Amino acid sequence: MSDTNGFEPRIVAFLCNWCTYTGADLAGTSRLQYPPNVRIIRTMCSGAVDPVYALKPLLDGVDGVLIGGCHPGDCHYQTGNYKARRRYVALQQILKTAGLDDQRVWLRWISASEGQIFADTITEMVTALKDLGPNPLRQNWAV
Amino acid sequence: MNGFIPVENSNPLTAVRGLLRQLLESGLVDAVFVPMEVDGGVTVPALVADVDQLEHANPLVPAMSINSARVVAAMTGKEAPAALGVVLHPCELRALIELVKLQQASLDNMILISMDCAGTYEWTDFTAMQRAGELNLADYLGAATQGRAHNGHELRQACQMCTQPVPEGVNIHLQLFGADLASGIPVTLDDRLAEVLNIGAVDELPTANRQAVIEPLLAQRQQTRQKELAAMQERINANGGLFDVFATCIRCYNCSTACPLCYCKTCLFCTSAFGHPPEHYLNAARRKGAMRLPADTMLFHLTRMNHMGLSCVSCGMCTSACPSDIPVGVVFSLIGGQVQESFGYHPGANLEEPLPLITFQADEWVEIGERR
Repeated sequence: MSDTNGFEPRIVAFLCNWCTYTGADLAGTSRLQYPPNVRIIRTMCSGAVDPVYALKPLLDGVDGVLIGGCHPGDCHYQTGNYKARRRYVALQQILKTAGLDDQRVWLRWISASEGQIFADTITEMVTALKDLGPNPLRQNWAV
Repeated sequence: MNGFIPVENSNPLTAVRGLLRQLLESGLVDAVFVPMEVDGGVTVPALVADVDQLEHANPLVPAMSINSARVVAAMTGKEAPAALGVVLHPCELRALIELVKLQQASLDNMILISMDCAGTYEWTDFTAMQRAGELNLADYLGAATQGRAHNGHELRQACQMCTQPVPEGVNIHLQLFGADLASGIPVTLDDRLAEVLNIGAVDELPTANRQAVIEPLLAQRQQTRQKELAAMQERINANGGLFDVFATCIRCYNCSTACPLCYCKTCLFCTSAFGHPPEHYLNAARRKGAMRLPADTMLFHLTRMNHMGLSCVSCGMCTSACPSDIPVGVVFSLIGGQVQESFGYHPGANLEEPLPLITFQADEWVEIGERR
């Protein structure tokens, strides 16, 4: 296991202001423990996360990107998360066909009351990324 | 309605010019957008307001200097100020439809004219042939009506793998495939136009010759397309991703400039969004050991694939524009094509099909976003 080599994955998370970011906040105020491998960036909506936001850190060598939004039907802007889902489908397909790793970008619906689920998701993601190993692009300077 | 544009002296070009002239003289349109001859028969697109200038019009040449959809969009905006007759290749037409959906162009008051397209030459091949007097229009059209190239130079790669050489949904469609152009140009057009243009109706156009050209042509193009796309996928897989394909990119932005769909007035990559303070470069170089410059080359191409791939009409102008001979268009046809397929989307086919990224179904991909 790469775990034993001391590999600690780095995750960049784009969390929607209304649900997942607030959920992360709840995890914090509830003193829930989760791995400190994630750097959180607050966005107004998961639908506002352009694919370029996910691609830039990936190409720079970050191990995982998490996009967090409200559950379907709960979007503060009515439909932003549905559109995020379509963009995510396209992004994943493009990554796959382009020969890049589509397992490093996650989309998760986590509501403002789901602090525990946020903590669990980060834990799961860190475990999965440790299994996957470091992003090979971290070594690729010619991107 | 079906009919024939009469051809005199076995000269179809004069007949097409006459048709455009009639359109303009009749007041149906205020101007005609069409390739015009300059410099010994080389053609460039132009907006023509004076009928007498139409004697230089030549929409039949086997070349396109640009995909004209974007300049047509510039002339119409969201609301066209005038009635325009617009002559486009099928791929330009598809790009224009996409631009309308992207709210960059309008088809109001526009008369769309297109023709069966046998394919176009690389611009530099075409201009060289034309200047050397090697390009005989009659020979080209003779070959074009049979759906093939007529001499030494190969057609553009995108044209060799084009499976949509017949335009859909136009007001005037010149049906060149399988036609005997010396006697008359078979045409399908709107009834109101036929009346003004004095084109008599025929019960039906002779379809046997046309089908005999189209079927093998499409079969051959489809085969070439599959071969090229499979080869590209193999190259990507064999080299650990797209990096090898874009390794020689010089970041000139020609591909996005030539792309009829990349419409942003200011591209993100030309802004300070990816500008960094000077110390960033050394930090980045230390992090990976080295840093390719200009930075973010792969990011540029992958972002374009995300932004434009779904609307890509496979015109291949990006490949033609690339000074490093990178087959950008094949990559887009491969990757864009697969994404289009996942969404069941046909770019440029019609205005009714909504752009995939601005619409959604609540009950699709429901497993995405849920915990596993």
